[in-house]
Amino acid sequence: MDESWGLTRMTRVEVVVAGDDVALLAELFAEVGATGFTAVSNVSGLGHSGYHQGRLLFNDRNALALLTVVLPPERTAALLDGLRPLLAGRSGVLLVSDTWVSRPQYFQ
Amino acid sequence: MSGADALGARARLLTQIDEAARVIAPLWPLSTFIAVNPLWDLRQLPFDDAIACATRVLGVRGHPPAPLFAAAYADRRVTAADLRAAIDDRSAARGYGCGRGQWAGDGGAARTLTVTERHDSSFGTAIAAATDREVAKWCAAYLGGVLPAQPGGGFYAAWRAIVARDPAARRMAGRAGRDRLARLGSQPEGAIITCLERLGVGEEERVPELARQLARMPGWAGHAKWRSRWAAPDHPGPPLHLLDYLAVRLGYEAELLGVAVARPSRVGRAPRAPRRGRWGRGRRQERGVPPRSEPFDIASLPDDLRGHLPGLPATEVARVWLGGYEGHYRDRLLAALERPSPAPSARPSVQAVFCIDVRSEGLRRHLEAVGPYETFGFAGFFALPIRYRPWGSADALDLCPVLVRPNAEVAERPSPGAAPTAGRQLTGRQALAAAQGALDGARKGALSPFILAEAAGFFAGPLAVTKTLVPARYLRLRRWAGRRLAPPTATVVDAGSAGVGMSDEEQALFAETALTTMGLTGNFAPVLLLCGHGSTTENNPHASSLDCGACGGNRGGASARAAAAILNRVAVRRLLSERGILIPDGTVVVAAEHDTATDRVTVFDAHLLAPAHHDRIAALRRDLERAGVALAAERVSRLPGARGPDPAAAVAARSADWAQVRPEWGLARNAAFIVAPRDVTAGVDLACRSFLHSYDPGVDPDGIALETILTAPMVVAHWINAQYYFATVDPEVFSAGDKTVHNIVAGIGVVQGTGGDLQVGLPLQSLFDADQAYHEPMRLLTVVQAPQALLEAVIARNPVLRELFDGQWVHLAGRDHADDRWKIRRPGGTWTWWTPAATDPKEASTRG
Repeated sequence: MDESWGLTRMTRVEVVVAGDDVALLAELFAEVGATGFTAVSNVSGLGHSGYHQGRLLFNDRNALALLTVVLPPERTAALLDGLRPLLAGRSGVLLVSDTWVSRPQYFQ
Repeated sequence: MSGADALGARARLLTQIDEAARVIAPLWPLSTFIAVNPLWDLRQLPFDDAIACATRVLGVRGHPPAPLFAAAYADRRVTAADLRAAIDDRSAARGYGCGRGQWAGDGGAARTLTVTERHDSSFGTAIAAATDREVAKWCAAYLGGVLPAQPGGGFYAAWRAIVARDPAARRMAGRAGRDRLARLGSQPEGAIITCLERLGVGEEERVPELARQLARMPGWAGHAKWRSRWAAPDHPGPPLHLLDYLAVRLGYEAELLGVAVARPSRVGRAPRAPRRGRWGRGRRQERGVPPRSEPFDIASLPDDLRGHLPGLPATEVARVWLGGYEGHYRDRLLAALERPSPAPSARPSVQAVFCIDVRSEGLRRHLEAVGPYETFGFAGFFALPIRYRPWGSADALDLCPVLVRPNAEVAERPSPGAAPTAGRQLTGRQALAAAQGALDGARKGALSPFILAEAAGFFAGPLAVTKTLVPARYLRLRRWAGRRLAPPTATVVDAGSAGVGMSDEEQALFAETALTTMGLTGNFAPVLLLCGHGSTTENNPHASSLDCGACGGNRGGASARAAAAILNRVAVRRLLSERGILIPDGTVVVAAEHDTATDRVTVFDAHLLAPAHHDRIAALRRDLERAGVALAAERVSRLPGARGPDPAAAVAARSADWAQVRPEWGLARNAAFIVAPRDVTAGVDLACRSFLHSYDPGVDPDGIALETILTAPMVVAHWINAQYYFATVDPEVFSAGDKTVHNIVAGIGVVQGTGGDLQVGLPLQSLFDADQAYHEPMRLLTVVQAPQALLEAVIARNPVLRELFDGQWVHLAGRDHADDRWKIRRPGGTWTWWTPAATDPKEASTRG
């Protein structure tokens, strides 16, 4: 990362959960002060609990969704506090990585 | 605690609440009643384990009671051979498990109780009951608009603003206690954490504590779960969220426990026990619920079973009986489906697509018997998840299964040239609505009811007598008056054209999906009928439970009209032909709606038909009427109290009767979901017990259509089946009780009498005939005719199907093609040849 780029470091959290759990994720994001998130429904893939079909024509609840949220690093631990017990009992994927944004005020 | 730690604690709490809420089911508002598996969010556990969990937290029974099996055994509805087969079957299936998480693996644990329930039990207080009473009171007030909403706040904020002036809170908790309630934190998360700490509930104990808190009133909590997890964010009306609900509830619990410890006399026994799961026999009978079972005398069983069954744990015995009961039905159904169906005698003049609803099976069977009709089964929203706005109405309806969100808005509008009558109708409807509003306002005023009674009693008395003694005539009179005031007008339902609404491509995609999924991609008849369904009943808060589940608990006629309009469009047919589906120019698609209370079928949009089709449609109407009369005759024999020489008139009278508690049986006795071409079931009397979904694997090489059928219509069918199952098995908890004492609260639900919890599930009258169960509680049997490899591939890539089939929530039978033998799928994905238990020569019927 080149500092001359003028970007600000943030944390990107990507979560794959069942469509059933998207409402809870939205609550969690709001609780930790996330100003927005991106949701991609009907994602597919192979994981610990087998293959998950992504293209369910008439069932949004049982297909998987990928949610991406960007947070200031100091709030990430709180979000993880909420996500860990969720993923302890249900299928899902959690990825956390550093990211850089050009307009940090949008994510505060 | 630092700010970051506090934030983390609040985030963990949200997840804990979500986990706790898995033990209760969402409860939809009355206007769109949705039959749901009450244990749906425990489906990750095998069926028996989920029942063990629910027993622990909800205090429920999960298997049918012994008297039901005793009666079934006496009626040869389950035989000794069925029981032996079930014993063998359970031995083979034992040891499978698929669940994990908070609720898995502690089936032997003791009953879950809240802190205050344990205190009540030890010290004779009634804290939990008092909390129930207060929370129910405030929920009703909030949703009814009596409790003023606070800007930016929900239920908790509204309650917090008023509790400081609540005399009941002062009476129970004293002035200081009431002040403490009002001073709970401004945010519900913080209030819950504070209260849990005051109650001494540690982090590890939170989920069971919160689960039991929710389970005490599964109606209000279920409504809050629906609002938090299922309702659209912009759903109108005051939002009652789980977080707010629990904050209020735990506020009372913590405060009253403190009072009880300090001054035991203040929190005494509540005047009535509001919790249903703990009610004794007297309370059950008050609700009209049949008394709990007595031990089953097995003296009539053969020696081998008498020797074997008593040695098993009680729950294992119940499982064996349930397995035998289900196996008995399965054997007769599969045997009936093995017989070759009669070849169609002539090319069909009409192809008719009906909803998969079990009630459509009867109409299809009778229609096929009166003429050259080919029928299909498909989910009644016809693959069109739409938000429908009836003409002249401010409210829109979501016409799709609740598993999906509508992705297009479709409006009804007057036909070209119908503007004069449309204007008159609108004016008339506005006048009727204004009159109704004035009447409702006068009824609810402080003094106006007295004036209203004086002024209108002269008319209302004779009207009430007419309504009671000759309900059908009254209904005709009302409709006549309605037509005079607001004359009918020709309308069209348009999904989109000329660049407005759904694009041609979108419409063609939906059409292709619908036709391919039901296996109707060629050989179109001159008329293609799309028939939705609805139910016309009077004075029935649960009316929407009789409408179409695939249309989100609404009538299905509008979906049929929208789909027909799409399939009649030249642009759509051109796009379909490019995809290999050629609908001839001479084929017209017509919409209709089957009224399942009267068995009359209304054919819509006659004004859109070309003259060349008039004779065919007239003949179709006549045959639909004949089929409806035949179905009415069949249904009258099953409806208690229905009599008279004219079955059609008998069912019509029930439909119009405002005092009728059972206008129809709805989906009671549903038992199977059959995915196959109609050839497999044609000519078999399935007694309106089977969901029938047409399917042709020949046009579905990748299994996409099969996947759609199993992950959507079958899931909806399973919800319906499980709703009926659990409501019959434990009506005290899972049914809405006796509907004669229902009162509607805030338009969203019913309570028994004057207050308490919202009632969940179906009324008793939808399940029982007096004290005998009419519904036969058994898990759904899905029967699929498709290549086994394709079926297994679909199951393997869909966790929800693995949960349902491997967890034995749904049984699965299949065969590759019509000449094959049936196989049964075992948990884990092994298949065994179907071997029926020895048939008793005294009985054999698919009617059950």
